[in-house]
Amino acid sequence: MILIYALLPVNNDQDALNLQLSELKGISGENLYIVSVNEIGAVASDVKAIEAISDRSCVLEYAEVIERLARQFTLLPVRFGSAMKSTDAIVQLLIRNRDEITDNIGKVSGKIEFGLKVFCDADKLSEELKEQSGRDSNVPAISGGENHRSVYREYITRKLQVHRQEELLVTYVDSVIDKIKVSLSVFDASCKFKKMTTASNIINTAILVKKEEKDELVIKIENLQTICPGLSFVLTGPWPPYSFVDFTVKHDTI
Amino acid sequence: MSENKILFNTASLDTLSVELGNQAQQTEESKLKLTPANADSGLAKLVLTLVELIRKLVEKQAMRRVDGGTLSEEEIERLGETLMKLEMKMEELKKHFNLTDRDLNINLGPLGDLM
Amino acid sequence: MRDDDVFDRSRDITILELLDRVLNKGVILTGDVVISVADVDLVYLGINLMLSSVETMEQLKSGKTITGT
Repeated sequence: MILIYALLPVNNDQDALNLQLSELKGISGENLYIVSVNEIGAVASDVKAIEAISDRSCVLEYAEVIERLARQFTLLPVRFGSAMKSTDAIVQLLIRNRDEITDNIGKVSGKIEFGLKVFCDADKLSEELKEQSGRDSNVPAISGGENHRSVYREYITRKLQVHRQEELLVTYVDSVIDKIKVSLSVFDASCKFKKMTTASNIINTAILVKKEEKDELVIKIENLQTICPGLSFVLTGPWPPYSFVDFTVKHDTI
Repeated sequence: MSENKILFNTASLDTLSVELGNQAQQTEESKLKLTPANADSGLAKLVLTLVELIRKLVEKQAMRRVDGGTLSEEEIERLGETLMKLEMKMEELKKHFNLTDRDLNINLGPLGDLM
Repeated sequence: MRDDDVFDRSRDITILELLDRVLNKGVILTGDVVISVADVDLVYLGINLMLSSVETMEQLKSGKTITGT
């Protein structure tokens, strides 16, 4: 069986690629090789049984190969865990998905990914937002009917308070996202935001910028931290462009 | 992988490692694992997840209406009764199938979490 | 806190971030000739190892000594 690590363009300078591959080893020490067609290639290695690679050390070995290659070449990382039966099947896959692969390579060419996570002290933030809003936590719409104090009304009142608190938080998180966007607007960056992963991890961002913009990005994040002292910013990277190649390569029978 | 890729960080490393570890665990637990052996409870989880999603959407929308202040006293009363009963029913079902709130957030793989 | 503690924890966090990427992101191959790893078992194993490393970090934090490192 053949395990695929990454998809990448292969053209005249295949020597450099082959040299790099000869210096690396795949999972279980297997040799790495390229299966290519029409200037698109898949980095692959043989694997004896798919069960044999089911552990964490293999995942890390796999990621290491992608990482090392990505330092020198533009590539699309393949999610861990897919193998194919033959080189012929890989060739078919590359032919059928050529346009999509080329498009995606174009998007990430010369760029690197960074992860930005924003953390808060959830309880403290929620208290602050409540104070700031200055809005009466009583429910105006239903406070009028004193003679109607039923259990259902109280239920709605409680739910409404939770709802308003959530709205405040969402508005706040959006305002932080706007700040991040403004701060990154000097770059030609692609960003993906995920809100409220957990109560304290309020924002998860994947950022794609040009390789040479790394230092400037770090400075921008430092500035953001100064602007938002109540939050904690964590920037990781550079990563291969994992978060920016979320397409599915189709390979159906003809 | 011996390299440190943290470029900038103001969070405590302890908090961060625990938080990320929990997130990873959560992602895993929320994957829908349907096998012949657990087909019953797996299906219950799937169905209840969808029901819970719709219930929460309805509740959210209802709160927007209440917040808008256009509902009459009577409407609010009825809404409260309905939502409360729905929630209680849902709790019963969760208990019956031994499911927690965390179980009812299916991870849709590349699409992320449902809720 | 010793310098190697900081280094070890930073590295563990880096690995968690990396695993999140390589297991949950990237190009997905599908189709009848793709053989997929039984990812449930795979990831469970990974998670258990990860959690044990988080526990180790917790112990370090609470001051319990761990010999051998």
